Amino acid sequence: MKNGTIAFKGVNDGVYLEIYGSDMDKIKEELKTKLAKSSGFFQGVNFLGVSGEDLSPEEMLEIHLILKYRYDFDIDLGDDLLDRLYMIYKSKRELESSVVKNSKEGMTKFLYGTLRSGQIVEYNGNIVVVGDVNPGAFLKATGNIIILGTLKGVAHAGFNGDNEAIVAAYNLIPNQLRIADIIVRAPDGDISEYKLPEVARVYDGEIIIEPYLPNK
Amino acid sequence: MENKKGTAIVVTSGKGGVGKTTTSANLGTGLAMLGKSVVIVDADIGLRNLDVVMGLENRIVYDIVDVVEKTCRLKQGLIRDKRFEKLYLLPAAQTRDKSAVKPEQMIELVNELKDEFDYIIIDSPAGIEQGFQYSIAGADLAIIVTTPEISAVRDADRVIGILEAKGLHDHRLLINRIRPDMVKKGDMMNREDIEDILAIDLIGIVPDDEEIVISTNKGEPAVIEGRSLAGKAYMNIAKRILGEEIELLDIEDDNEGKISKIFKLIFGK
Repeated sequence: MKNGTIAFKGVNDGVYLEIYGSDMDKIKEELKTKLAKSSGFFQGVNFLGVSGEDLSPEEMLEIHLILKYRYDFDIDLGDDLLDRLYMIYKSKRELESSVVKNSKEGMTKFLYGTLRSGQIVEYNGNIVVVGDVNPGAFLKATGNIIILGTLKGVAHAGFNGDNEAIVAAYNLIPNQLRIADIIVRAPDGDISEYKLPEVARVYDGEIIIEPYLPNK
Repeated sequence: MENKKGTAIVVTSGKGGVGKTTTSANLGTGLAMLGKSVVIVDADIGLRNLDVVMGLENRIVYDIVDVVEKTCRLKQGLIRDKRFEKLYLLPAAQTRDKSAVKPEQMIELVNELKDEFDYIIIDSPAGIEQGFQYSIAGADLAIIVTTPEISAVRDADRVIGILEAKGLHDHRLLINRIRPDMVKKGDMMNREDIEDILAIDLIGIVPDDEEIVISTNKGEPAVIEGRSLAGKAYMNIAKRILGEEIELLDIEDDNEGKISKIFKLIFGK
């Protein structure tokens, strides 16, 4: 992951500042070194603004202030800058939360091969594993998780709250299953194995597992 | 909660595969069977095993890293054993590595656990790096596990040296996987040989026992059944931790191979 890296990006009508990560100390440090190296370079350039995905409105405001008063950037702060930043922040969050229902449609990640102990896969969408998931491996998806093999590790479908998500596997013998905010564990002792694929879903607030019958 | 101020015991060895995890599981369970409140801490982050040996793998939601990073409360991280009410496990994280915990965090964690439990058993990872360093950080007593092999004894010696340099002077030796038939023939180091080199107090000898393999695979520490020789040896060690004076188990007679007994019957000696 990129943490606290900044970049000035040029587009047709000017330059904007792109910020990755949320480590403010690091961002300020880099801002200092970058601007010290290229002092005067931005003079007369049309500065468009700052873009930072992971920053809070207050942190964005701080960056704006630093740019304007320490480095003489031509920025129109206005009285309502913080309000505007809040609006942008809010609409971004709303956009994120509006794609909760990934279990119906959405992006899918395909994984080929065996997932082994200690491996963790987290995805905003559905996960399909063409292979096995060994004990100690951990799958997390906002949508469904489908495994064309044996699931022995832990799978968490609909992890941002979608309880319509399902977990299905050719051989479903997980240590633990999670759908939305419900967690169930395998019973102690031996469990009878079906020779059928099984599907786990939430029914009446509980996770149930049923064999998958093709002629349904 | 009342202030208990329990004892923290780290189980360590230097060398891998000598039975640290088996020892931790059995001693922790043994102490709980003797009525003590016990938490076993799996400090082997990234290679967690203790949960499997205890048969508690399917109950893990939070782990030691969640606790020290405070993403969950200590109580949420503790898993209660399915057999003994006073026995708890704090599992290691599997998707992280040893750099996730610092010695200071471990000291804080152990101190917090001491308020709630009589005994805190810390299962240290193999090696003498980071993982070992934070494992020993909060401990009052170290149990050094070794097997009767020169390589394991060397590593144990090194570990004792580091422990002393770190100011942990209270340590006991546990000799694991001894085979009396081989010792008798002179093919294996015996207790005296090992004690000569390491020169620390012995807390117990555990014989090599296939019951351990069975119990590990079942997720049920051998001390529970108590009929296997290794299970008995571990129970004795648990009692010794509580201060009872118990003679070392006479493993020589019990463990004599069936085949050699038959030979004796047939050939007279």
